[in-house]
Amino acid sequence: MAAPALERAGGPTEPGDARRVAQLDGSNLIRVGARPGLFRYIREIWSFRHFLYYDSHSRVSSANSYDSLGRIWMILNPVLFGTAYFFVFGLLLNTGRGIDNFIGYLIIGVFTFRFFTAAVSGGANAIAGNQKVVQAFNFPRACLVISTTVRELFSSIPMFFVMALLVLSIGDMRLGGAESIPITLTWHWLLFFPCIALALMVMLGWSLALARAVNAHNDVKHLISFSTRILFYTSAVFFSADRYSDLGVDWLDTVMGLNPLFCVLDILRHAWLYDGFADPARWIVLGSWAAGSMLIGFLIFWHGEESYGKER
Amino acid sequence: MSTSTPYVPRRHTDSEADLIAQDLAIELDDAAGRAEAWDEHPFTQQTPVIQTVDPENVCMVVDDASMTYRVRSSTGNNDSGGRISRGLKRITGAGWAEVHALSNLSFIVNRGESVGVIGTNGSGKSTLMKLLTGKVRPTSGEVYATSTPVMLGVNAALVKEISGRENIRLGCLAMGLSPEQTAAKYEQIVEISGLSDALEMPLKTYSSGMSSRLQFAIATSVDPDILLIDEALNTGDAQFRARTKERLDEVRANAGAVFLVSHSLGTIKQMCTRVIWIEQGEMLADGDPQWVCEQYEEYTSHKSNGRTRAAKVVYERTRLRLDPIKVDFTSGSRPKKAGSSRIR
Repeated sequence: MAAPALERAGGPTEPGDARRVAQLDGSNLIRVGARPGLFRYIREIWSFRHFLYYDSHSRVSSANSYDSLGRIWMILNPVLFGTAYFFVFGLLLNTGRGIDNFIGYLIIGVFTFRFFTAAVSGGANAIAGNQKVVQAFNFPRACLVISTTVRELFSSIPMFFVMALLVLSIGDMRLGGAESIPITLTWHWLLFFPCIALALMVMLGWSLALARAVNAHNDVKHLISFSTRILFYTSAVFFSADRYSDLGVDWLDTVMGLNPLFCVLDILRHAWLYDGFADPARWIVLGSWAAGSMLIGFLIFWHGEESYGKER
Repeated sequence: MSTSTPYVPRRHTDSEADLIAQDLAIELDDAAGRAEAWDEHPFTQQTPVIQTVDPENVCMVVDDASMTYRVRSSTGNNDSGGRISRGLKRITGAGWAEVHALSNLSFIVNRGESVGVIGTNGSGKSTLMKLLTGKVRPTSGEVYATSTPVMLGVNAALVKEISGRENIRLGCLAMGLSPEQTAAKYEQIVEISGLSDALEMPLKTYSSGMSSRLQFAIATSVDPDILLIDEALNTGDAQFRARTKERLDEVRANAGAVFLVSHSLGTIKQMCTRVIWIEQGEMLADGDPQWVCEQYEEYTSHKSNGRTRAAKVVYERTRLRLDPIKVDFTSGSRPKKAGSSRIR
């Protein structure tokens, strides 16, 4: 309050002391800012699809406009990370022992992991980081989160191309202590598309739930970066999935089998590196994660629709 | 300055209900021994006058809305709570600051009205605007309207990294226009903004005046039914201001009800048919622009000259004139449904 409330001392107007009562029939009024019903909400999102598409599209094209190398960073970034992990894990710690085509294994792991976490952390920040847009317009807020995920997909297309090229060219390079299976382009590579589609659904569901949490409590952001690390070490990004069962810790094996990101990596690796199918259980786990996260994440987000414009 | 309206406490003069109540009390007093049957304070108690409002005519209903902000802050409100929680706050540096921005506001706006909102800085005008557009839900009470009100302000978001052209498209789509409608509005927006030379440049190269012109042009490209106009729209050079006024008059003419927040009493008197004065989160006056603006001018001039007592007198006598209203929906007709986020 700007000034000490001198005038307030006169006694506040009690709501009860109104001397006029206006009686009206409110049946053709709406409650301003009310959350629409679930199906109406979905229809509203659909009617804003052009906004959604244009928003994600324009942000992709401007994403790296502050860097002098521009969009090259979209590719350079994972390549540099991949090289760093190769030196640390592949050469220094030698976690690649016993993994055939370890370079391809590592490339798929690092690139896909970056795609996954960038989308989830971006989506989690979609409401809290776009307060100006939220304050200015009235569209259903889920559009912002969906648009972040779509944008991440758009901007990852060149990255996936590079990933495929790298796997094809140097993925089967021979390292000491492992077999090298020649990698060829077969129809198995097409499994990439359904697999990434399911991964996108998981990512969107998580983003929706996290976006509400981050907007309500900024503290969640710290937990997200922590959980990303945990996910990194339990998804077999740079080591073999058999590592834990070899060590005799079977429960960790089960945890990994239930990890959606590990399922994505395992499916991709079997399709691209070893020219075959992954365990069908991987598809079942990934599919259930996709359907479950989409449903629950969307419900969580929709339920909080009225809270997103609030100052924090 | 002198006031045209002398200080007359309303309760004892122009309320018919008061006179009736006094008469009744005298009669009852005459009938000895029956006085206990009447209320303890016959001179101040009265039954409220019930008015029926035509629902066809109503545009907006604010029903007993209060707003208290709780903002995370390391400095505010560190002395509340028990000893342990106080100590904890000191260690973590995290705490809440509570701001009572508005309390128990009720009013009804009819179709065709232009409502000016005045008040000193920090009185709760912007909070009221946020409640009216539904960006924030009141802590208690509700806001109802015939359609979702649209705020024209300079805070309409623009994305800094993309060009002016893309921002126009993005803004239109965010308001729920279809791509065809956006294309149709495009020329008009460019013309109003007067920025045809800079459209291909990214927005971060724009000056603040240029981007607020673009924001104004995007925001006024639609014709909303309930319109809220922020005072800060009066920016820009003389040439732009003329264009602004023209477009604003057009939009106002098409709107069903208009709210105007401004510190310029001239604009308010000229444009509004009714003025609401909010002071320290409470409604102080609601009525004829001429009268309310006079009271407000007197109040602010006393305040700025440090005459606190004189200011308090103006405050009190203005408040006595206030005739607060209570909203009562006929049974079962309290609105629940949500409005569409698209603008027709």
